[in-house]
Amino acid sequence: MKVTFPHMGQVYLAIKGLLDDLGVEVVIPPSITERTLEIGTKLSPEMACLPLKINIGNYIESIEKGADTIIIAGSCGPCRFGYYGVVQKEILKDLGYDVDMIIFDPPDADYRVFIERIRKLAGKNSWVNIAQAFKRASTIVKEADEMLDIALKKRAREVNKGDTDSRLYRFEREVVGKHGSHEILETIRKYKGILSQVEEKPGVSPLKIGLVGEIYTLIEPYVNLNIEKKLGYLGVEVYRSITLHEWVKVHLSLDVKYRMSYKRILKKAAPYLNLCVGGHAWQTIANSIYYSECGLDGIIQIMPFGCMPEIVAESILPRVYQDYGTPIMTLVVDEMTGEAGYFTRLEAFVDLLEQRRRSKADEYKESLLRG
Amino acid sequence: MRIGIPRALLYYNYYPLWHSFFEELGHQVVTSSVTSKAVLDSGVMSCVDDACLPIKLFHGHVVNLIGKVDAIFIPRLVSICPEEYICPKFIGLPEMIKSSIKGLPDLIVLNYNAHRNLKDVHRAYVELGTRIGAKPSQAVKALQKATASQQAYDLLLKEGQTPLDMLNGRKRIGEGEGKGIIGLIGHPYLLYDEFISMGLISKLRARGYAVLVPENIAQPQIEMACAELPKKLFWSYGKKLLGSGLTMLKGRKVDGIIFLSSFGCGIDAFIVELLQRYNHRLYQIPSALITVDEHSGQAGFNTRLEAFIDMIEWRDGREGYISAHGASVFGH
Repeated sequence: MKVTFPHMGQVYLAIKGLLDDLGVEVVIPPSITERTLEIGTKLSPEMACLPLKINIGNYIESIEKGADTIIIAGSCGPCRFGYYGVVQKEILKDLGYDVDMIIFDPPDADYRVFIERIRKLAGKNSWVNIAQAFKRASTIVKEADEMLDIALKKRAREVNKGDTDSRLYRFEREVVGKHGSHEILETIRKYKGILSQVEEKPGVSPLKIGLVGEIYTLIEPYVNLNIEKKLGYLGVEVYRSITLHEWVKVHLSLDVKYRMSYKRILKKAAPYLNLCVGGHAWQTIANSIYYSECGLDGIIQIMPFGCMPEIVAESILPRVYQDYGTPIMTLVVDEMTGEAGYFTRLEAFVDLLEQRRRSKADEYKESLLRG
Repeated sequence: MRIGIPRALLYYNYYPLWHSFFEELGHQVVTSSVTSKAVLDSGVMSCVDDACLPIKLFHGHVVNLIGKVDAIFIPRLVSICPEEYICPKFIGLPEMIKSSIKGLPDLIVLNYNAHRNLKDVHRAYVELGTRIGAKPSQAVKALQKATASQQAYDLLLKEGQTPLDMLNGRKRIGEGEGKGIIGLIGHPYLLYDEFISMGLISKLRARGYAVLVPENIAQPQIEMACAELPKKLFWSYGKKLLGSGLTMLKGRKVDGIIFLSSFGCGIDAFIVELLQRYNHRLYQIPSALITVDEHSGQAGFNTRLEAFIDMIEWRDGREGYISAHGASVFGH
């Protein structure tokens, strides 16, 4: 059994660590490129959302490398992600690929099926082993996210442009050669150290922008056209509302304290939207309010074209702006998104925020003079 | 009080229930006008660009009601069946309307959620009743009467009527029978809105075909067809379309099948994809997918429809005729 999985940002580190520890052979899909997207777009339903198309591209490129089993998570609606597995399986079947697909639906739906599927994947491992491997995988997720957070801070302040990213690039080159969660964790820790040594400009206070929106688009840099990097180069410190680690903490762990603070943030959205409409729309609204209260300079919502839950959030966000006054921009990405136009919009947004900040400072000075 | 009901989205499924519920409670019901270019345009203007056609249309119908009524009824249907959902956009509909349209009258929102338990629905209507000033006991009574008229309506649908005929007050089936039956798969708010579907049903009838719509397929058959899926489908209306489509295909009840979908419909993207794949693999009944949006034109629509019907008729006549020369079967 050679197992593969779809890409989603740093998730490959955790899955590789997990499967290595369980002794399952794993094929990491080649990083997403234009070819991946082209394959996916050609073979997927036209109106499907972007993540599904890229998943298909990932599968086929992995199958070319010898994978014969695909693992993917599932959910029970109402977002379309819950039915990805079934549709993707049919697409691959019609193409003549003979692959096995293991779909992990959340255990609360039917825990026996869930356990059976883990058993199928893990083979002869003992349950203790499996539990430990999962625990280590979640540590990888946590540390990898911490590493990215360091990068977000550094990029906005680095003396030599590109310093942070060249180190991250070296990390990616190095980590694919590692085997097992211990080695992967070691590499991550090493690069956390290396990243914190990036030289900073003294006394800069960068603009702060919060990213909200659909989880896949936020986490996968190819899909959001490296928005974190682009904003970083424009001298912006980026805050991410949804990270893999946060997802793991909310959905898989028993961290009660975190869950409570998570619910507290969600409650902020009550005057605008007070129930789950699927996906992360509720979080999008809640986090936008939270970021406004924290005093961030701007908020960017990102979603794939046709994302059903985020469209609901998009139509509510103008009201959040009216009430809180923090500028919010929505970016919709799909297979047709051009990099130049996208970058121009980011630049314009950052310009706008800078001007706002300056005029606010001027107002402050004026009030001092008058006073 | 004059209560306005937008003639869009689930109106076609539930209007007998909603009409009689409000009327039983002594209110006057005003339905928005039939969809027209003006209604659609006002919807497109007020809604976010990324929404799908039916949602934009709903916005248009709400705008159409402003000034004519004291309150507008907006259903928030989270789930109509335990463990299932409807589209996310239906769930967030009242919020979308509130954020996008200015100068709204009072909004009466029905919070209908049967995700846990079907009995919650009862409570939703009692709440709705008290919201517009009725006593709970009156609301219960009104709901009973309303449910009865809804059941009568559903029964007629199962007997083969289409909601469109019922709305227009002509109960007739067998119009244009003779040549065959075309199965139509599409959400009710597309199929029965004559502006959006560009009179698809009457055009097919004029060409001599009877139509079979998802509303005509009995629920047990839908459930049976969907039970074969590898994973339970969690969209109620998606399930209805897929199940009735499979039933039509499996029983070879239809000579052709047309999928009517709106641009940007997330659920249709998956349902139609699956149906087309199953059809191609197992049944091979002629099928066409027609996608409509706010820019659709009549001419292209008619051409596709004519081409589709021609294809079916050619197939009828000469499918078995395979030329010994290897040249085109159709003699061109």
